[in-house]
Amino acid sequence: MEKLKIGGLKQSLELCQFDLRGLDSSEEIASKVSKLLLAQKINMEFLTFYSQRNNYHQLTFCISQDKFSATSEILKKEGLLPDWEINSREQVGIITIFPHQSAIMILGLIMSSWAAHSIPIYGIATSLSAISFVTDYQLADKATKVIQDLFQMPEDHAPIKPEIRYHQSDIVKED
Amino acid sequence: METIAVYWESRIKTYGFQRIPDLALIEFSCPLSEIKPLGEIFSQDYLEILRPKFIISQVSNHEISFVFCLPNKEGKDFHTTLKKTSRSTPERYIHPVSIIFFHGPHFGDRYGIADATFSTLSKAGIKIIASGCSSASVFLVLAQHDIDKAEEILSETFEVAR
Repeated sequence: MEKLKIGGLKQSLELCQFDLRGLDSSEEIASKVSKLLLAQKINMEFLTFYSQRNNYHQLTFCISQDKFSATSEILKKEGLLPDWEINSREQVGIITIFPHQSAIMILGLIMSSWAAHSIPIYGIATSLSAISFVTDYQLADKATKVIQDLFQMPEDHAPIKPEIRYHQSDIVKED
Repeated sequence: METIAVYWESRIKTYGFQRIPDLALIEFSCPLSEIKPLGEIFSQDYLEILRPKFIISQVSNHEISFVFCLPNKEGKDFHTTLKKTSRSTPERYIHPVSIIFFHGPHFGDRYGIADATFSTLSKAGIKIIASGCSSASVFLVLAQHDIDKAEEILSETFEVAR
Protein backbone atom coordinates (compact mmCIF):
# COMPACT_ATOMS: atom_id res chain seq x y z
CA MET A 1 0.00 0.00 0.00
CA GLU A 2 1.30 3.43 -0.93
CA LYS A 3 2.31 5.54 2.03
CA LEU A 4 0.55 8.85 2.67
CA LYS A 5 2.77 11.79 1.81
CA ILE A 6 3.60 14.38 4.43
CA GLY A 7 5.33 17.71 4.03
CA GLY A 8 7.78 17.26 6.86
CA LEU A 9 8.56 16.61 10.45
CA LYS A 10 10.46 18.34 13.24
CA GLN A 11 11.44 17.76 16.85
CA SER A 12 11.66 20.31 19.60
CA LEU A 13 14.38 20.75 22.17
CA GLU A 14 13.88 19.33 25.67
CA LEU A 15 10.82 20.82 27.37
CA CYS A 16 8.70 20.33 30.46
CA GLN A 17 4.94 20.38 30.77
CA PHE A 18 2.47 21.78 33.27
CA ASP A 19 -1.22 20.86 33.49
CA LEU A 20 -3.45 23.14 35.55
CA ARG A 21 -7.02 22.14 36.22
CA GLY A 22 -9.63 23.98 38.22
CA LEU A 23 -13.16 25.25 38.48
CA ASP A 24 -14.32 28.26 36.56
CA SER A 25 -13.23 31.48 38.19
CA SER A 26 -13.68 35.14 37.59
CA GLU A 27 -10.00 35.50 36.83
CA GLU A 28 -9.08 33.66 33.68
CA ILE A 29 -6.37 31.11 34.39
CA ALA A 30 -4.73 31.50 30.96
CA SER A 31 -4.40 35.23 31.53
CA LYS A 32 -3.08 34.86 35.07
CA VAL A 33 -0.48 32.20 34.24
CA SER A 34 0.73 33.90 31.08
CA LYS A 35 1.26 37.08 33.11
CA LEU A 36 3.26 35.17 35.75
CA LEU A 37 5.49 33.64 33.07
CA LEU A 38 5.90 36.94 31.26
CA ALA A 39 7.24 38.45 34.49
CA GLN A 40 9.94 35.74 34.46
CA LYS A 41 10.53 36.13 30.69
CA ILE A 42 9.54 32.52 30.09
CA ASN A 43 8.33 31.52 26.64
CA MET A 44 5.46 29.04 26.27
CA GLU A 45 6.30 26.90 23.26
CA PHE A 46 3.03 24.97 23.32
CA LEU A 47 -0.31 25.74 24.94
CA THR A 48 -3.78 24.28 25.01
CA PHE A 49 -6.73 25.62 26.93
CA TYR A 50 -10.28 24.37 27.24
CA SER A 51 -12.87 25.95 29.47
CA GLN A 52 -15.89 23.71 29.41
CA ARG A 53 -14.88 20.22 30.38
CA ASN A 54 -17.43 19.29 33.04
CA ASN A 55 -17.19 22.90 34.25
CA TYR A 56 -13.44 22.54 34.71
CA HIS A 57 -10.88 24.66 32.94
CA GLN A 58 -7.66 23.00 31.85
CA LEU A 59 -4.55 24.83 30.80
CA THR A 60 -1.61 22.79 29.53
CA PHE A 61 1.64 24.38 28.46
CA CYS A 62 5.23 23.43 27.65
CA ILE A 63 8.31 25.51 28.35
CA SER A 64 12.04 24.92 28.18
CA GLN A 65 13.20 22.19 30.59
CA ASP A 66 15.71 24.57 32.17
CA LYS A 67 12.79 26.71 33.44
CA PHE A 68 11.13 23.80 35.25
CA SER A 69 12.20 24.62 38.82
CA ALA A 70 11.56 28.34 38.52
CA THR A 71 8.10 27.78 37.05
CA SER A 72 7.17 25.11 39.61
CA GLU A 73 8.04 27.53 42.38
CA ILE A 74 5.98 30.32 40.87
CA LEU A 75 2.89 28.21 40.24
CA LYS A 76 2.98 26.45 43.59
CA LYS A 77 3.54 29.56 45.63
CA GLU A 78 1.00 29.47 48.41
CA GLY A 79 -2.23 31.25 47.66
CA LEU A 80 -1.35 32.20 44.11
CA LEU A 81 -3.57 29.65 42.39
CA PRO A 82 -5.86 28.43 45.16
CA ASP A 83 -8.02 25.40 44.35
CA TRP A 84 -6.10 24.64 41.17
CA GLU A 85 -4.71 21.15 40.67
CA ILE A 86 -1.20 21.48 39.26
CA ASN A 87 0.59 18.54 37.68
CA SER A 88 3.93 18.69 35.95
CA ARG A 89 6.04 16.47 33.77
CA GLU A 90 9.74 16.90 33.06
CA GLN A 91 11.62 15.97 29.90
CA VAL A 92 8.96 16.11 27.24
CA GLY A 93 9.41 16.99 23.60
CA ILE A 94 7.16 18.14 20.78
CA ILE A 95 7.04 16.36 17.47
CA THR A 96 5.42 18.42 14.75
CA ILE A 97 4.21 16.88 11.52
CA PHE A 98 3.17 18.84 8.44
CA PRO A 99 0.43 16.90 6.65
CA HIS A 100 -0.55 17.89 3.12
CA GLN A 101 -4.09 16.66 3.74
CA SER A 102 -6.04 13.92 5.57
CA ALA A 103 -5.28 15.44 8.96
CA ILE A 104 -7.67 13.17 10.91
CA MET A 105 -6.33 10.06 9.20
CA ILE A 106 -2.73 11.07 9.94
CA LEU A 107 -3.67 11.89 13.53
CA GLY A 108 -5.33 8.48 13.89
CA LEU A 109 -2.41 6.59 12.34
CA ILE A 110 0.05 8.26 14.69
CA MET A 111 -2.16 7.69 17.75
CA SER A 112 -2.56 3.98 17.05
CA SER A 113 1.04 3.40 15.95
CA TRP A 114 2.55 5.22 18.91
CA ALA A 115 0.24 3.33 21.28
CA ALA A 116 1.43 0.05 19.71
CA HIS A 117 5.02 1.11 20.46
CA SER A 118 4.18 2.34 24.00
CA ILE A 119 4.88 5.95 23.06
CA PRO A 120 2.61 8.22 25.13
CA ILE A 121 0.79 11.35 24.00
CA TYR A 122 0.54 14.14 26.58
CA GLY A 123 -1.04 16.78 24.36
CA ILE A 124 -1.95 17.69 20.79
CA ALA A 125 -2.53 21.01 19.06
CA THR A 126 -3.01 21.90 15.42
CA SER A 127 -2.26 24.98 13.41
CA LEU A 128 -3.13 25.74 9.81
CA SER A 129 -0.49 23.37 8.42
CA ALA A 130 0.80 21.31 11.32
CA ILE A 131 -0.11 18.84 14.05
CA SER A 132 2.05 18.96 17.19
CA PHE A 133 2.28 16.05 19.64
CA VAL A 134 3.79 16.21 23.11
CA THR A 135 5.54 13.01 24.17
CA ASP A 136 8.49 11.83 26.26
CA TYR A 137 11.71 13.53 25.18
CA GLN A 138 13.66 10.28 25.59
CA LEU A 139 11.27 8.59 23.17
CA ALA A 140 11.36 11.36 20.55
CA ASP A 141 13.77 9.52 18.24
CA LYS A 142 11.71 6.33 18.45
CA ALA A 143 8.49 8.31 17.86
CA THR A 144 10.08 10.02 14.85
CA LYS A 145 11.19 6.67 13.42
CA VAL A 146 7.61 5.34 13.70
CA ILE A 147 6.35 8.36 11.75
CA GLN A 148 9.07 8.00 9.11
CA ASP A 149 8.05 4.36 8.63
CA LEU A 150 4.37 5.31 8.32
CA PHE A 151 4.56 8.20 5.87
CA GLN A 152 6.46 9.26 2.78
CA MET A 153 8.71 12.20 3.55
CA PRO A 154 10.08 14.69 1.03
CA GLU A 155 13.49 13.65 -0.31
CA ASP A 156 15.10 17.00 0.44
CA HIS A 157 13.81 17.15 4.00
CA ALA A 158 15.37 19.71 6.34
CA PRO A 159 17.02 18.41 9.53
CA ILE A 160 14.44 17.03 11.93
CA LYS A 161 16.28 18.07 15.08
CA PRO A 162 16.70 21.76 15.88
CA GLU A 163 20.11 23.16 14.99
CA ILE A 164 19.63 26.60 16.49
CA ARG A 165 18.41 27.53 19.92
CA TYR A 166 16.88 30.98 20.24
CA HIS A 167 16.97 33.07 23.37
CA GLN A 168 15.15 36.34 23.43
CA SER A 169 17.53 39.04 24.52
CA ASP A 170 16.86 41.13 27.59
CA ILE A 171 18.07 44.17 25.68
CA VAL A 172 15.13 46.41 24.94
CA LYS A 173 15.48 48.41 21.79
CA GLU A 174 12.59 50.67 20.91
CA ASP A 175 11.37 50.64 17.30
CA MET B 1 25.09 25.60 18.51
CA GLU B 2 23.40 28.43 20.36
CA THR B 3 22.10 31.57 18.71
CA ILE B 4 20.89 34.55 20.68
CA ALA B 5 18.15 36.40 18.88
CA VAL B 6 17.99 40.07 19.65
CA TYR B 7 14.74 41.79 18.93
CA TRP B 8 12.09 43.78 20.64
CA GLU B 9 8.90 45.37 19.45
CA SER B 10 7.03 48.10 21.25
CA ARG B 11 3.91 46.43 19.83
CA ILE B 12 4.11 42.75 18.94
CA LYS B 13 3.81 42.31 15.20
CA THR B 14 1.47 39.85 13.54
CA TYR B 15 0.80 39.05 9.89
CA GLY B 16 -2.90 39.72 10.45
CA PHE B 17 -5.99 38.05 11.87
CA GLN B 18 -7.98 35.40 10.10
CA ARG B 19 -11.39 34.08 11.02
CA ILE B 20 -13.29 30.87 10.45
CA PRO B 21 -16.97 31.39 11.37
CA ASP B 22 -19.94 29.08 11.86
CA LEU B 23 -18.17 26.02 13.19
CA ALA B 24 -19.30 23.24 15.48
CA LEU B 25 -17.19 22.33 18.50
CA ILE B 26 -17.20 18.67 19.49
CA GLU B 27 -15.59 17.54 22.72
CA PHE B 28 -15.13 13.91 23.67
CA SER B 29 -12.85 11.81 25.80
CA CYS B 30 -11.70 8.25 26.31
CA PRO B 31 -9.50 6.37 28.78
CA LEU B 32 -5.81 6.53 27.87
CA SER B 33 -5.91 2.75 27.51
CA GLU B 34 -8.32 3.19 24.57
CA ILE B 35 -6.13 5.52 22.53
CA LYS B 36 -5.07 2.83 20.07
CA PRO B 37 -8.59 1.78 19.03
CA LEU B 38 -9.64 5.45 18.90
CA GLY B 39 -6.71 6.13 16.56
CA GLU B 40 -7.86 3.24 14.38
CA ILE B 41 -11.31 4.83 14.14
CA PHE B 42 -9.79 8.20 13.13
CA SER B 43 -7.74 6.55 10.40
CA GLN B 44 -10.78 5.03 8.65
CA ASP B 45 -11.23 6.12 5.03
CA TYR B 46 -14.75 7.49 5.57
CA LEU B 47 -13.44 10.20 7.91
CA GLU B 48 -10.92 11.42 5.35
CA ILE B 49 -13.43 13.93 3.96
CA LEU B 50 -13.48 15.80 7.28
CA ARG B 51 -11.49 19.00 7.36
CA PRO B 52 -11.02 19.97 11.00
CA LYS B 53 -10.08 23.60 11.50
CA PHE B 54 -8.86 23.10 15.04
CA ILE B 55 -7.88 20.14 17.19
CA ILE B 56 -6.51 20.06 20.70
CA SER B 57 -6.07 17.18 23.06
CA GLN B 58 -5.41 17.25 26.80
CA VAL B 59 -4.67 14.52 29.32
CA SER B 60 -5.92 14.35 32.90
CA ASN B 61 -6.90 11.63 35.36
CA HIS B 62 -5.96 8.79 33.00
CA GLU B 63 -8.23 10.18 30.30
CA ILE B 64 -7.45 11.89 27.05
CA SER B 65 -9.92 14.51 25.83
CA PHE B 66 -10.23 15.99 22.37
CA VAL B 67 -11.76 19.21 21.09
CA PHE B 68 -12.46 19.38 17.37
CA CYS B 69 -13.88 22.33 15.44
CA LEU B 70 -15.45 21.46 12.11
CA PRO B 71 -17.88 23.04 9.65
CA ASN B 72 -21.34 22.42 11.10
CA LYS B 73 -22.50 19.65 8.72
CA GLU B 74 -19.22 17.75 9.15
CA GLY B 75 -19.40 18.33 12.89
CA LYS B 76 -22.86 16.73 13.12
CA ASP B 77 -21.70 13.69 11.14
CA PHE B 78 -18.55 13.35 13.23
CA HIS B 79 -20.55 13.65 16.45
CA THR B 80 -22.90 10.92 15.26
CA THR B 81 -19.94 8.68 14.38
CA LEU B 82 -18.46 9.16 17.83
CA LYS B 83 -21.78 8.33 19.50
CA LYS B 84 -21.81 5.01 17.68
CA THR B 85 -18.39 3.97 18.94
CA SER B 86 -17.91 2.50 22.36
CA ARG B 87 -14.37 3.90 22.52
CA SER B 88 -15.18 7.51 23.26
CA THR B 89 -17.70 9.51 25.23
CA PRO B 90 -19.02 12.58 23.39
CA GLU B 91 -19.39 15.23 26.06
CA ARG B 92 -20.29 18.41 24.27
CA TYR B 93 -21.50 19.80 20.98
CA ILE B 94 -21.51 23.58 20.66
CA HIS B 95 -22.70 25.50 17.61
CA PRO B 96 -22.00 28.13 16.44
CA VAL B 97 -18.44 28.96 17.43
CA SER B 98 -15.81 30.90 15.51
CA ILE B 99 -12.06 30.73 15.31
CA ILE B 100 -9.74 33.68 15.11
CA PHE B 101 -6.12 32.84 14.47
CA PHE B 102 -2.89 34.68 13.82
CA HIS B 103 0.83 34.25 13.68
CA GLY B 104 3.75 36.59 13.47
CA PRO B 105 7.49 37.04 13.32
CA HIS B 106 9.20 35.44 16.33
CA PHE B 107 6.00 33.75 17.56
CA GLY B 108 7.14 30.54 19.21
CA ASP B 109 10.57 31.93 20.08
CA ARG B 110 9.67 34.85 22.32
CA TYR B 111 7.79 35.34 25.55
CA GLY B 112 4.81 37.66 25.96
CA ILE B 113 2.57 36.53 23.09
CA ALA B 114 0.23 34.51 25.33
CA ASP B 115 -0.04 37.31 27.86
CA ALA B 116 -0.77 39.89 25.17
CA THR B 117 -3.53 37.62 23.88
CA PHE B 118 -5.20 36.24 26.99
CA SER B 119 -4.87 39.26 29.27
CA THR B 120 -6.25 41.61 26.63
CA LEU B 121 -9.27 39.44 25.94
CA SER B 122 -9.85 38.76 29.62
CA LYS B 123 -9.85 42.48 30.41
CA ALA B 124 -12.40 43.03 27.65
CA GLY B 125 -14.64 40.35 29.15
CA ILE B 126 -14.30 37.97 26.24
CA LYS B 127 -14.46 34.33 27.27
CA ILE B 128 -12.19 31.95 25.43
CA ILE B 129 -13.80 28.57 24.89
CA ALA B 130 -10.62 26.87 23.70
CA SER B 131 -7.17 27.72 22.48
CA GLY B 132 -4.24 25.99 20.87
CA CYS B 133 -0.85 27.62 20.39
CA SER B 134 1.82 25.68 18.55
CA SER B 135 4.10 26.10 15.55
CA ALA B 136 4.17 29.88 16.00
CA SER B 137 0.38 30.21 15.69
CA VAL B 138 -2.31 31.31 18.11
CA PHE B 139 -5.78 29.80 17.62
CA LEU B 140 -8.72 30.99 19.70
CA VAL B 141 -12.19 29.45 19.72
CA LEU B 142 -14.83 31.95 20.77
CA ALA B 143 -18.59 32.27 20.86
CA GLN B 144 -19.66 33.48 17.43
CA HIS B 145 -21.02 36.75 18.80
CA ASP B 146 -17.64 37.63 20.36
CA ILE B 147 -15.57 37.45 17.22
CA ASP B 148 -15.90 41.07 16.02
CA LYS B 149 -15.04 42.48 19.42
CA ALA B 150 -12.13 40.05 19.81
CA GLU B 151 -10.58 41.10 16.51
CA GLU B 152 -11.02 44.76 17.38
CA ILE B 153 -9.32 44.28 20.76
CA LEU B 154 -6.49 42.15 19.38
CA SER B 155 -5.90 44.65 16.57
CA GLU B 156 -5.31 47.34 19.17
CA THR B 157 -2.83 45.12 21.03
CA PHE B 158 -0.85 43.69 18.12
CA GLU B 159 0.55 45.55 15.16
CA VAL B 160 -0.42 44.12 11.81
CA ALA B 161 2.75 44.00 9.69
CA ARG B 162 2.41 45.65 6.29
